[in-house]
Amino acid sequence: MHESSLRSNAMESSFLLRGGRVIDPVSGVDATADLLISNGVVAGISTTPRGVGIPQGCVIIECEGCLVVPGLIDPHVHLREPGAEHKETIATGATAAIAGGFSSVCCMPNTTPTIDLPSTVEFVQMRAAASHRARVFVAGAATVGRAGEQLAPMGAMSQVGAVAFTDDGDCIASAGMMGKVLAVCASLDKVFMQHCQDPTLTAGGVMNSGTISARMGLGGWPAVAEEVIIERDIRLNRGHQCRYHVQHLSSEGSVEIVRRARANGQPVTAEASPHHLLLTEDACNEYNTLAKVNPPLRTDDDIRAIIEGIVDGTITLLATDHAPHASSEKALDFTSAPFGMIGLECALPLYAKALVESGAIGWPRLIALLTIEPARLLGIDGFGHGSLEVGRSCDVTVINPSKAWRIDSEKFHSKSRNCPFDGWQVHGRATEVFVGGRRVLADGAIPECATVVGHARFNAL
Amino acid sequence: MADFLTIAGMSRAEISRLLEATRKSVPIAEGRSPNRTSLNGRVIANLFFEDSTRTRCSFETAVHRLGGQVFNLTPSGSSLNKGESLVDTARNIECMGVAAIVVRCAVSGGAKMVADGVKCPVINAGDGRHEHPTQALLDVSTLIEEFGSVEGRTVAIVGDITNSRVARSATHALSTLGAHVRLVGPPTLVSKAFERITKGAGSQGQGTVSTMSNLDSALEGVDAVMMLRVQFERAAGGAISSDYRQMFGLTPERIAKLAPHVVILHPGPMNRGIEIDDKVADDPQRSRILRQVTHGVAARMAVLEDLVGV
Repeated sequence: MHESSLRSNAMESSFLLRGGRVIDPVSGVDATADLLISNGVVAGISTTPRGVGIPQGCVIIECEGCLVVPGLIDPHVHLREPGAEHKETIATGATAAIAGGFSSVCCMPNTTPTIDLPSTVEFVQMRAAASHRARVFVAGAATVGRAGEQLAPMGAMSQVGAVAFTDDGDCIASAGMMGKVLAVCASLDKVFMQHCQDPTLTAGGVMNSGTISARMGLGGWPAVAEEVIIERDIRLNRGHQCRYHVQHLSSEGSVEIVRRARANGQPVTAEASPHHLLLTEDACNEYNTLAKVNPPLRTDDDIRAIIEGIVDGTITLLATDHAPHASSEKALDFTSAPFGMIGLECALPLYAKALVESGAIGWPRLIALLTIEPARLLGIDGFGHGSLEVGRSCDVTVINPSKAWRIDSEKFHSKSRNCPFDGWQVHGRATEVFVGGRRVLADGAIPECATVVGHARFNAL
Repeated sequence: MADFLTIAGMSRAEISRLLEATRKSVPIAEGRSPNRTSLNGRVIANLFFEDSTRTRCSFETAVHRLGGQVFNLTPSGSSLNKGESLVDTARNIECMGVAAIVVRCAVSGGAKMVADGVKCPVINAGDGRHEHPTQALLDVSTLIEEFGSVEGRTVAIVGDITNSRVARSATHALSTLGAHVRLVGPPTLVSKAFERITKGAGSQGQGTVSTMSNLDSALEGVDAVMMLRVQFERAAGGAISSDYRQMFGLTPERIAKLAPHVVILHPGPMNRGIEIDDKVADDPQRSRILRQVTHGVAARMAVLEDLVGV
């Protein structure tokens, strides 16, 4: 990708983010500073007042009390387009991302048709560019139709910019196929992201296997279904050394397996999702389909283990698994309703609640889990993503960490409303987002699209 | 030499001797020099338990050029269809007084089974995914005609390495003769283990063997490119994806970047439009694919004379 396409053209105004707490997880900067965005990039950072020259016509944004950080990256979202545009489109999903503080997302290939061809990857890229909202990186399917039977053209998809491969939504259940996929991904230096679920152990399962599923008469989904796949894949990967990523890790046992593999030097990473940090299987009581998710909500012990895993570095990053579904679909009975919940617009304060307000980690680590760590996972850190490198990085998020607000899914930009956190009182909200130097979230609001159309290429990279 | 089963285990001198005999037989194979009589009165049996065009016909032609007689046994119309085993069939044929048996079979190690079961010399014309030693002679002979010697030259062998007896035999021959071999293909069809299949590869006087999965970088600095057929009949289909041509096919765009002296080989039959484009296969400057066929007759003459010639 050419350097020039990282930046917008020069007709953009410049912005001075004044007096905020600037946190760059790569350089280690964590100080009150002014940050200048000009010519589409971070043009200067100064800890002394008026330390950066202010270009003519520069928009000054007061950031006192706010965090000024690299644009947040969510490496696991479902944008539903093509094929299920009644749940979400690339444009609405990319707008929801911005509203939540995310300048970049990586979308999953479980669409209809599946994103398993270079042309489908390019379709998503074109739709995202036309939306002028968040950057949308594309994860391609590892097997044709995500059916786990025939290798998808991963080389060709890489050549048009697919950043990762996964059959997300389904696990690659066959060990033979898994070995082939790991070999191909390793040769392409792309991460493989596994949806860890042995289908023979989850048949009929709709929630965590335990007392509550037994009492409600619902099919149980045991943690071991996730754990056996992680164990198997780590063994399979010894001969390939592919970058292997565990999606939405949900159990204490999984944390232990990943911790051991990382200690042994295996190239394994893992993500946790907001709902697995804050909700237990209790949320499924009363057959609450908003709490039906894959993998399922589990127990307090699992939450504790996941947070410990985040603290000790076993879990390397955070991801929402934003999974929109129409209200009519979630209104079905618990067994028939689809798995999944949306997360882009409420994830930030939920992460803060589970991890920072609880004292587990500080803001700088949380920012790293949301910026440079996912950038490394997707192999986009070399393009200035996930950091605040002067002259190179071009995406910035401003967060007001003390802003108190009530989650109201009716106000979401997402097309869907399936959020179990609706009504929660939380703290922390993104107030500004800059993508390619362009102000796409201004004082907590999405500006009219008209202000950004007609500009230069707006592709993911 | 009692049998001719593998290139693996042959010394540089042994291979060179057969290559020299091949070179001398080329004018006869071309029909430019008179036939010889070294197989006069001898009958050679072609036992082809697996399909073949080039190999079977060139063994037949080679026998004719040497004044011998040859007959073919193929599965259809034989008791192989009634379940008679490879070795039992060969033993019966031997008792008809043949001077040598040429055998092709679908099982790796099948040629040695036959050789262990009969007393007459056996020539391996391809056993499963194991070896195809006369193919290696013709491949190297074609390259020697081009370059004078293969020592120090770099040859990329591209494609379905795992399923290829051609790749294995060529790798043994080339590296023993001091050429550097790059085995290139999808990682699902090329494993690191191939770097160690040839004893002594990389040691004094021997060429190196490396494995690569990026064709464009593998083509940098090569002297010859040997394309392999994707062997769908050997389950290679499950190991490749629809971007095979884009990632591993030899296209006009790719050969445009090669140095002028680089030549292209293919053992046939070709999957045109998959591993090789028409314009490459038929490129008058670079393609030596049909020249290989002529060397095939010469190589088989050399081996037959060596084993049973008088």
